[in-house]
Amino acid sequence: MNSTLRTIGLIARREFVTRVRTRVFTIGTAIVLVGITAYLAFQILVLSKQTQTANENVAFVGEVTSLASPFTAAAKTLDYKIVRKPVANEADGRTQVQKGTLDALISGSATSPHVLVRDHFPAGLQAVLQALARQQALNSQLTAAGLNPATVNAGLATAVVTVDTIKGTAAQRTEEVIAGFVVAVLLYVALLTYGTLIAQGVVEEKANRIVEILLSTVRPSQLLIGKIVGIGLIGLFQLSIVGVYAIVVASLTHVFTVPTVAIGLVLAGILWFVLGFFFYAVLFAAAGSLVSRNEEVQGTVLPITVLAIISYFVAIGVVTPMFTGAPMTSTGILLAMIPPISPVIMPTGMATGDIAPWQWLLAIVLTLLTSAGATLLAARIYANSVLRIGARVKLREALAGPR
Amino acid sequence: MEEGGLQVERLTRRFGDLVAVRDLSFAVAPGELFGFVGSNGAGKTTTMRIIMGVLSADRGDVRWNGKRPALEIRRKFGYMPEERGLYPKMKVLEQLTYLAELHGLTASAARASSMKWLDRMGLAERANDDVQKLSRGNQQRVQLAAALAYDPELLILDEPFAGLDPVAVDVMSEVLREQSQAGTAVIFSSHQLEIVEELCDRVGIIRSGEMVAQGTVEELRQGGPRRYWVGTSGYGWITAVPGLSVVRRNENETLVELADGVDDQAVLRAALTGGPVHEFRRDVPRLSELFRHVVSEANDVKPPTPTQRRREE
Repeated sequence: MNSTLRTIGLIARREFVTRVRTRVFTIGTAIVLVGITAYLAFQILVLSKQTQTANENVAFVGEVTSLASPFTAAAKTLDYKIVRKPVANEADGRTQVQKGTLDALISGSATSPHVLVRDHFPAGLQAVLQALARQQALNSQLTAAGLNPATVNAGLATAVVTVDTIKGTAAQRTEEVIAGFVVAVLLYVALLTYGTLIAQGVVEEKANRIVEILLSTVRPSQLLIGKIVGIGLIGLFQLSIVGVYAIVVASLTHVFTVPTVAIGLVLAGILWFVLGFFFYAVLFAAAGSLVSRNEEVQGTVLPITVLAIISYFVAIGVVTPMFTGAPMTSTGILLAMIPPISPVIMPTGMATGDIAPWQWLLAIVLTLLTSAGATLLAARIYANSVLRIGARVKLREALAGPR
Repeated sequence: MEEGGLQVERLTRRFGDLVAVRDLSFAVAPGELFGFVGSNGAGKTTTMRIIMGVLSADRGDVRWNGKRPALEIRRKFGYMPEERGLYPKMKVLEQLTYLAELHGLTASAARASSMKWLDRMGLAERANDDVQKLSRGNQQRVQLAAALAYDPELLILDEPFAGLDPVAVDVMSEVLREQSQAGTAVIFSSHQLEIVEELCDRVGIIRSGEMVAQGTVEELRQGGPRRYWVGTSGYGWITAVPGLSVVRRNENETLVELADGVDDQAVLRAALTGGPVHEFRRDVPRLSELFRHVVSEANDVKPPTPTQRRREE
């Protein structure tokens, strides 16, 4: 047992060390980092445009002008930027509203302001103005009653409404879905990249015949597992670099307002990378062992690639409606239980909390069981075909056993 | 022959309809150099792969020191496969160290031993080059170092001399001899029969998956067809002796082959009847001639093999 672990460790270490030093790894990681930066930059642009405050050109005439400053300040909290325009008189204001150079002309007294617009005055602004006018009316009544309006207002200020959210705000939810989706895409790319790398690694050993030397001292299953662990660790390493970078950049630029979402996501991403990677990796390794030349790799791994692509599109189908704030459908949750699909849906489901803990525990168990089955099958195919150099080994022959 | 070393007993392996190896038996003692010769496709590589455990046998047994070798024991077997295999993009020293570690050496011992063998192969200054930057001959030296770096008890080399320059052949021969003198059981296959003849304690000739001759080089040569050079001026006497056939004829001498049971003294007496005999000399075939003879004994009438003949004698 000890020597088995040592052997697997040696094989995994070689895979990791020789690959991490390659230019492919360095450049690949750099490209992903640049991609993330670009994505975040895009997000920042889009988000800042969405929250951009609307400009309202407003002119005040008459007594109501005293409300201009508090109105501008209050409107700002509602994301309206009040731009005050000078008008000569009410008639001039009316003309400008008609022409459209002015959005609103506010005239009249401070306690009963009159608003002139072409077709529509934002309800928020109307409410603000109304509140100000009432305050104004209240103040004069308070003064008339011999009370100091400032004292009364200070007393009123202590009465505030506190809002606690249970499920998080809509904005937070959108963030969770977007982040979950990004993790799913990264996972999918990583699974395909490293899965293919495993198949190529298997074929490479077959093609340059070192497998014969290795198998004289190492069991096929040890070689298979060592290879998967080594390449998997590289994938994990790369994903961690990317994940940490994404969290740091995202929190610096405030794309994610909730850092806990990001950290939870990275953890869920890593968990599902490990689970999904192992599942796909054994299949890729088995497929790779069927052929002897690098040019044949693409063909032999095609069924597995197709499986991954289908899973990915199913995930997109499940996640896309969630961008509008809808919860994950029960069909989506059901699909997330299917092992090949789980790794790409689960991170989103776990980040949003749409998939209950017992459900993702079940998905983990199902994935582990399927992976164990796939490993046995793959080890058999691998052991039976890894020494057969030359023509592509038929799957049926590889499953049938040594002959 | 039951004590130590390698015993291969009645090994049989089929690939579909093709019988690659049939009832093959031989033994190699520790410290013995065993040469394995046979035409291409005769079953040498299959046999070696079965011994190394990378291929399974349909029937028969491989034993090391009387026991079937488990993986732990096979770890002490050094192997140089016919199809050389190394990671092309790995540094030479790293690669050797890795393989030695897989065979159970500690990291430091593996490194030291690998360096020692690289030095021995004259490749010390290439230790940090990628394998693919080395010439084929040098890659082959690395391959040999890979099989030796963990002090194997049994060394199996499939065509170790193929593609080597004369200097490398000398180095390889020297290393093999040293290894066997140090007590390692060595098996190698080769088409270079002069090397086999010079190097090996014993030789096995394999044809169509069967061991057709086996013994020391001397035994095999003596066991070949009995041929004599007879120096006479006339040839008429030859026809008078039944079971005598002419192999070759020079100006003053004739090479005759004696069938089984023909007395060489009777041949000499018959030759004297034809005139003075200037020469009467046993022709001991070289291994290469013997090999050609054994291998060309096609499937038609199968004459007794030297092994069988010895048993009968």
